[in-house]
Amino acid sequence: MGGFLSAIGDVVTNDVTYSGAMRFAALLAFAAIGETIAEKAGTLNISLEGMVLGGAFAGALGMHLTESVTLGLVFATAVGVVVASVQANMSHRLTANQFVVGLALNTLVLGIASFLNTSIQPVSKAAHRFEIKPLSEIPLVGDAFFNQPWPLYLVYPMIPAAWWLLYRTRWGLEVRAVGENPQAADVSGIDVNKRRRQSVYIAGLTSGLGGGYLVLGQIGRFEDAIVGGQGFIAIAAVIFGGWTMRGVIGGCVLFGTVNSFRLTLPTVGHELNSELLSAAPFVVTIVTVTFFAYRTREPRALAQPFVRGLT
Amino acid sequence: MADRRTAGTDVPAVQLTSISKSFGAIVACDRVDLTLHRGRIHGILGENGAGKSTLMKVLIGLVLPDRGTIDVDGERCQIRDPQDAAGRGIGMVHQHFSLVEPLTVWENVMLGDTGPFDATAARRRVAEISERYGLGVDPGAKVGDLSAGVRQRVEIIKCLRRDPSILIFDEPTSVLTPGESERLFDVLRLAVREENRAVALVSHKLDEILHATDEVTIMRAGAVVKRMETADADAPLLARAMVGREVSLRSEASALGLIETVAESAADGEDSHHGEPEGVEDDSGTRVPALRLRDVVARGLDGRVSLDGLSIDVFDSQIVGVAGVEGNGQTALTDLLSSLLSAEAGVVEVDGVEVQPGRPGAMAGAGVAVIPEDRHASGCVLDMTVAENLFLVDIERISNRGIYDPAVMRRDAARLIEDFEIQTAGPDAPFWSLSGGNQQRVVLARELSYSPKVLVAAQPTRGLDVGAIEWMTDRLREVADSGVGVLLISSELEEILQLSDRVAVLFRGRIIGEMDRADVDLEELGLLLGGAGAADAAQEAGVSA
Amino acid sequence: MSSQQPQPAAEGPETAPTASAAAPPAPSRLREAGEAAAMYLGCIVAALIVSAVIVWATGGSWQAVFSALLDGSLRAPGRWGETIGIAIPLVVVALGTAINGRAGVVNIGQEGQVMMGSAFAAYVGVNMGGPGPVVIVCLLIVGALAGAMWAGIASWLLYWRRVPEVLTTLLLITVASQATGYALKVDWLLLAPFREDRSVRNQVSDQLPGGVRLPRIDIWGNDFPISAIAVVLMAVIVFLLFRRSVWGFRLRMLGRNPRTAQRAGVSTVKYGTTAMLISGACAGVAGAMMLSGGDFGNYRFTPGFANNIGWEGLLVALVARSHPVGIVIVAFSFAGLRAGSGFLAATGVEREISQVVLALLVLALLVPPAILFIRQRRRALSATRDRT
Repeated sequence: MGGFLSAIGDVVTNDVTYSGAMRFAALLAFAAIGETIAEKAGTLNISLEGMVLGGAFAGALGMHLTESVTLGLVFATAVGVVVASVQANMSHRLTANQFVVGLALNTLVLGIASFLNTSIQPVSKAAHRFEIKPLSEIPLVGDAFFNQPWPLYLVYPMIPAAWWLLYRTRWGLEVRAVGENPQAADVSGIDVNKRRRQSVYIAGLTSGLGGGYLVLGQIGRFEDAIVGGQGFIAIAAVIFGGWTMRGVIGGCVLFGTVNSFRLTLPTVGHELNSELLSAAPFVVTIVTVTFFAYRTREPRALAQPFVRGLT
Repeated sequence: MADRRTAGTDVPAVQLTSISKSFGAIVACDRVDLTLHRGRIHGILGENGAGKSTLMKVLIGLVLPDRGTIDVDGERCQIRDPQDAAGRGIGMVHQHFSLVEPLTVWENVMLGDTGPFDATAARRRVAEISERYGLGVDPGAKVGDLSAGVRQRVEIIKCLRRDPSILIFDEPTSVLTPGESERLFDVLRLAVREENRAVALVSHKLDEILHATDEVTIMRAGAVVKRMETADADAPLLARAMVGREVSLRSEASALGLIETVAESAADGEDSHHGEPEGVEDDSGTRVPALRLRDVVARGLDGRVSLDGLSIDVFDSQIVGVAGVEGNGQTALTDLLSSLLSAEAGVVEVDGVEVQPGRPGAMAGAGVAVIPEDRHASGCVLDMTVAENLFLVDIERISNRGIYDPAVMRRDAARLIEDFEIQTAGPDAPFWSLSGGNQQRVVLARELSYSPKVLVAAQPTRGLDVGAIEWMTDRLREVADSGVGVLLISSELEEILQLSDRVAVLFRGRIIGEMDRADVDLEELGLLLGGAGAADAAQEAGVSA
Repeated sequence: MSSQQPQPAAEGPETAPTASAAAPPAPSRLREAGEAAAMYLGCIVAALIVSAVIVWATGGSWQAVFSALLDGSLRAPGRWGETIGIAIPLVVVALGTAINGRAGVVNIGQEGQVMMGSAFAAYVGVNMGGPGPVVIVCLLIVGALAGAMWAGIASWLLYWRRVPEVLTTLLLITVASQATGYALKVDWLLLAPFREDRSVRNQVSDQLPGGVRLPRIDIWGNDFPISAIAVVLMAVIVFLLFRRSVWGFRLRMLGRNPRTAQRAGVSTVKYGTTAMLISGACAGVAGAMMLSGGDFGNYRFTPGFANNIGWEGLLVALVARSHPVGIVIVAFSFAGLRAGSGFLAATGVEREISQVVLALLVLALLVPPAILFIRQRRRALSATRDRT
C-alpha cells in the first residue's frame, strides 16, 4: 500500500506526467472542439477518427513534399475538410445514415492512408519545441502548457474561438437551433442541411489539424495505428462534457491524461501491464460516461436526418 | 418603413392576381385573387384543404406559385423565400413548429435574421415590443419554460420585430383560451388601426371571422368562392359558401367553429345521442366505471409534473369530454393511457381492475384503445404497410405459436379497409402514402378491432376537413352507443360540447370542474378554462364524484 | 432519442377523397426497377473507376490489379472455396447486425465481439478435452456467449444509464483486443506452452486438436468448412423470422417507432436487449467458426485474429440493407475481394488497395437507396401533403 501511494506521489510530482498528459489531451481537444460544433448541429460524426487519420497522413505527406511543418499542417487541415465533405454531403444532402457513412469513411481513409503510406513512405519529423518564457518556469505544469512543440499551441486559441462561434454569432445560434429543432429552424428561414454541412466541415477542419499536430507535433512519423481510436474517445469527451465547451475540454484533459499513462508511467519508472495501460483510456471513458454523462442536454435532433416535410 | 405605412390606402398592401399552384395532379390554388389593404383585418375562411395555407405560403415565399403575379405596395415582385418576404415587409405568425425550446426568447426572436448579431439590442427590442402591445414576455426566459399562450406571443414578437407592414396569422386561436383570444384580437386591432398594418387572418372558424375581421375571402377546393365585407355576412351565408352546400348549423356547428350554436343545442339536449343525458350520479353507486383515474400524478418525459392529482371516471356508453387549453396536461393524459408514462401516485383502473400504466402494452392489454393526438408519434409506424399498421397491437390474433401468415393479415386488412372506407392503394401500400384522414381511419379501425372497453380520442379531428370530421364524430357516437366508454380530449370546445355527455375541465394537470352537458354555462366554462376558481372547482369535482 | 415534445402532425390536412386516385401516375414498376438497377450499376462502376485512378496515380497497373483480384477470388484453382471460407463469418456477423438494426439499436462493435468469441472458443477447444463433436458444439456455444456478453455490456449501459451504444460498442473493441492480447501472454489462459524446439516464444495459442476442427467439404479442389451449410440455414431462418414471426414484426415496430411499440406492448428494454445479445452472439459464433474452420490463423488464436471480419460483416449488413439474401450475396463479393487481395503481390501494388476498393464500393452503394428514398418521399409529399 505504501509503495502504491509513493508511486502515485512520484507520478503526481513529476512534470513529465503533465507534459505527456497535455500532449494527448491536445489531440483530443483538436478533434472534440469540431465535433462539439457538429453535434450541436445534429451530426454524430463517427468519421472523426477518419478525419484525424487522414489529417495525420496528409501532415506527414505534406512535410515529405515541402519539408515545412506549417505546410504539413495546411495539408492536414485540407484533407480533414475533404473527408468531412464526403460525410457532410452524403448525410446532409443525400440524407444517408450518418453512422453508415462514418464507418465506410473510416475504412476508406484507413485503406488509402495505409496504401499510400506503403507506396510512398513519407519522411517526416516532429516540429521543434517552443518555450514560452517565463510562463514555462511555473513549477510542475509550466512545461506542460508552455514548453511544447509549437503546433500544440494552436489548440489554445481554438477553444475560445469555438465557444465564441457557437454562442456569440448568428451562425452559432442557427447551428444550435438546427440541432435542437430543425423544423422550427426551417420555418424561420434557415437552410438546415447547409448549416449541418458547414458544422461538419468545421469538425473536419479542427480534427484534420489535430491529425497534423499528432504526426508533426507529437509522434514525428506516420504509422497506420497512429490514431488508435482517439477519435472515438474525442466523441466520448463531447458526450461526457454534456455538449458544453468547458465540459468537453474537461473530458479531453481527463481522457488524455489516462491515455498518456501508457507512455509516461514507464518513463517515471513504474512498469505496469501494457495491455492494461492501453485498454485503460477506453475503460475509463466508458465508466466515466456511464456515471457522469446525463444525456438530458443532448441536442434533440442529434443523429436524425432532416428532410423537409417529414416528421 | 414609416413612409410605406402612411402611403395612400388606395394602393393595396398586397395584391395576388390569378395565383395557381398544383402539387402533382392536385390543384391547391386555382387562379386565386386576394387583396389586402392597410388598416384592415382580412379573414381568409375555408376548410382544411381549401388551399388557404398554400396561398399564405406563396405570400411568405415557402411555396413558389406556378402562375400568377404578386404586387407588394403596387410593385410587381417575386417572393423566393421567407427572408425575401421579410425584406418586403411580410411576416407570418406560425401555428406550430417555429420555436426552439432550449433557446431563450430573444434568441428565438432573432433566429433567421441577417445582419450583425447584437444580443443587447435584440433583448431591448423584444422588451419594447412586448411592452408596446402589452404582451408581458421576458426576453431572457427559456421558451421551453413558457406556456402555449405565451409561446404564441413570442411568435408574434418574432414577427413584429421585423416591423412588417403585412401580418399573416395562421389559425392563431387554437392554442388560446377564450380570454387569450380576446387579447390577441386586441393586439391585432392595435396593429391595424394605429399602425396601419395589413393583417390576414386564416381560420376555419366562423365565429372568429365574424368577430375579428373587416372583410373576408372564402375559399373552397383551391378557388375563391366569395369575397365580402364582414359586416354584410352572417354565419349561414359563410357556412354555405365555405362548405359548398346547405349545412345545418346545428349538426355541424363544431366543425364550423360556432360555439354559441353548439352550446344552445347542448342546453336543449336535442343533440344528445341518447334519449336523455346519462346521469352519472344515478348509478355511480352501483356501476363500476370502465375507466377510473384517482389522484394520478405523472411526470412528462421532460421531468415536469404534467398530471397533478387528476381524477376522472368514464362509464360504459358515455362520452366524457376533457376540455382545456393545450399544454395543461392533455399530452401527458393521453400518454399515460397509452402506456407511455407511469403514474407516480394515484390509481388507474379499467373495469375495476388496477393497471400499471407505464408497463409496455398495459393499457392496450386492459382494453384501453387510443386515437393519439399525434398519430405519427405513437399511433402508427409510417414505414410499415397499411395491413401491418392495422395489426400493430394485436398481431397475436392472427398468429399461431409466434408465427403469422402475411396472406391472412392481408386478407383481414382488406376487410377492415373496406369496412372503414379507407382510401388506399391496397393493404401493402406504405402507411405514409395515405392522407391524414385515411391514416386516422386506419388508427381507428385498428383500435376498435380488439373490442376495447374504453376509447381515448385525443384531438381526433385535428387537421381533417368537414367531411372527415363528420365521419369521425359519427363513429365516436357509434362507439359509445355500442357500449364503450369514450374519453374525448380536445382543445376544440365546440367538439367537446357537441359530443360529450359530461364535460370535464383540465387545468394544470388536474380536473378543476366537471358538469353534465345540459348544465353547461358557456361563460362559466370559459372562466374555468382559464383556471378561474380552480380551488372551489376542485371541491365541486369532489362532490360530483 | 425520441423527443417528447408533441410534434403536431406535419402532413396537415385531409385532401379531397379523390386525391389518392388523382395522384400523379407513378412511373411503371418496371421502369423504376430499371432506373434503380442502372443507378446501382453506375455507382459501382464509379467506385471502380476511382479505385483504378488511385492505382494508376501510384504507378500501378489497374488492369493487372483487377485481373489479380478476379484470379484470387474465383478463377484460380481452389480459390472460390477460399472465398466461401471467408464469406462464412461475414454472413454470420451480418445476420446478427441485421437483427439489431431491425430493432433500432446500433451495434458497431462486432470486431470486438468476434475477438471475444474466438478467444473463448480457443480456450474451450484447447482445454476441454473429450469427444471432438461435443467439444466443437461447446466451443461454438461458448463463443456465442462470449460475443453476447460483450455486446450485452453495451446494451446494459444503454438501458441502465442511457450511454449511447454507438460509443460503447466501438470503445469495447479496443478493450477486447487488449484483453485477448493479454490472454495470449499468460500460460494459464491462452498462451501455447513453451516448446524446446523453438527459440522464440510466439504469442499464439495452442493449435486446436484434429478432432476439434470443423470437417471440410471438397468440391473440385475447392474446400471449405461445413459451417457453410449451417450459415445458409441461418440466413433462411433469419429470413423467416423477419417475414413470418411475431417477434420479427415487433422488432421492426420497435426499430421504426419505439413509442408506438411501447403502446402496443413491445418492451424497449426486453426486445432491444435481446436483439443486441443475439447480434453479439452471432459475432461471437462467427469468431468461433473462424477458429474451428481453419481459414483463419490455422486453428490457432493469434493477436489480431479477428482481422477486420467484424467490421466487414457490419458493412455487409449495411450495404445489403439487412436483407438476408442480400447479405449472402454481398458477403460473398466482399470475401472475394479479400481472397483476391492475396494475389496482389505479383502486381507490385500494395494489398491495402483491396480495402480502398471495398470502402469505395460501400460508399457508392449508399447513394442509390438514398436518392430513391428522397425521390419517393418527394413524390408522396407533393401528392398528398403539401396542401393546406
